Amino acid sequence: MERGNPEDKEMTVDIIKEIYDAVLEGNVDEASSRVQQALNSKVEVKEILNRGLIAAMDLVGEKFGEGELFIPQVLWSAKAMQGGMDLLKPHFSPTDRAEKGTVVIGTAKGDIHDIGKNLVAIMLEGSGFKVADLGVDVTPERFVEKAVEVKADVIAMSALLTTTMQSMGEVVSVIKAKKLPFKVIIGGAPVDQAFCQEIGADAYGMDAADGLRKVKGLLGR
Amino acid sequence: MNIQIHREELLKQIGYKEPPQPRLLEMVDEVLGLLEELIEPKQAFKEIEDQKDLPPFLIGAVLKYTGAATLGPKFENKVKDLFDEGKPAEAYILDTAGSIAITKTGNLLWDEIRQDAAAKGFKKGLRRTPGCRGIEIETQQWIFERLADPELGITLTESCMMFPRKSLSFLARFGGKLKGTFSCKGCHQYTDCTLRG
Repeated sequence: MERGNPEDKEMTVDIIKEIYDAVLEGNVDEASSRVQQALNSKVEVKEILNRGLIAAMDLVGEKFGEGELFIPQVLWSAKAMQGGMDLLKPHFSPTDRAEKGTVVIGTAKGDIHDIGKNLVAIMLEGSGFKVADLGVDVTPERFVEKAVEVKADVIAMSALLTTTMQSMGEVVSVIKAKKLPFKVIIGGAPVDQAFCQEIGADAYGMDAADGLRKVKGLLGR
Repeated sequence: MNIQIHREELLKQIGYKEPPQPRLLEMVDEVLGLLEELIEPKQAFKEIEDQKDLPPFLIGAVLKYTGAATLGPKFENKVKDLFDEGKPAEAYILDTAGSIAITKTGNLLWDEIRQDAAAKGFKKGLRRTPGCRGIEIETQQWIFERLADPELGITLTESCMMFPRKSLSFLARFGGKLKGTFSCKGCHQYTDCTLRG
């Protein structure tokens, strides 16, 4: 779209606002349809991404953190953003970085409780991260192996029990021993900041939104 | 066993204090409709005689029980299916409803055990779940060896997690003096533990 024409500029602002609103409201079809409309109208991909999709998802995360929105609404928004992202991806130029970073995620060894981990994965994907989900009962070796394979930025682990959270420390130890560049974030009901410090992890996510915030903070994004 | 979950308690559990938008209410109602078809609550309990390898929590009790309950595999599979179908909000709401349902199933089981104990002259009892409050997670193996009820359909993973995940188990004791500490109070997360509510 011509950048200099005031009418075109106004139309761009309108479409971006519609994309933003659709993600905020978790309206999946509307978000995709408006992103497609924006692409058809030659609106800059970066503008759609940053001022439409990402800006809306950031506000969703903020509202969730403040107790104004709850998990189902966040999931709708994440899905709406994901739909828009899927349409945008083929239009990224080779120099654009399509993802904010890569996160390897899974539940700690021995733990099969994955609802929290699934929510974090969806929110990360919805916010533009590439996620390699290893599922449940993941050994420390597997976390590290996968992180090396996908050139991850972050390893995210969750545990529901005090008995299973101990293996998170083993992941940190392996990373430190091998001097690997991965940041580690942990979460789950029995985990807290004190445990995070005890095992030498980089961050503790109190809930899914906090986890997302901390991952962004770790990567400076 | 009839386990009823009301819309209001499910919304409260998700976090809503005020009624949410109609779209969400519709989804919650749909999920509650599904729940009725999906859960197959089962429970079992057994009185335990004095024996050498009693878990520390049961030592010194006059009357001892183990108990377990589950919502069954159909529920478990549906949560996974919804995630796989790209319906995470529905999956999350269903999972939350399942957590309420298994808690209620466990409370019914506890009522039955208390009635059994009351018939034997004991009014007050304590129950504890393996994996918390000083009870080793490996105690699960001890519990399920004694319950040994194939109808229940609960299996243990290598790390002693129950499958289906919406299952619970506990030890219960009546009478006698409790030896040792099986309380939350010694835990460093006592003041802000999310599990205590």
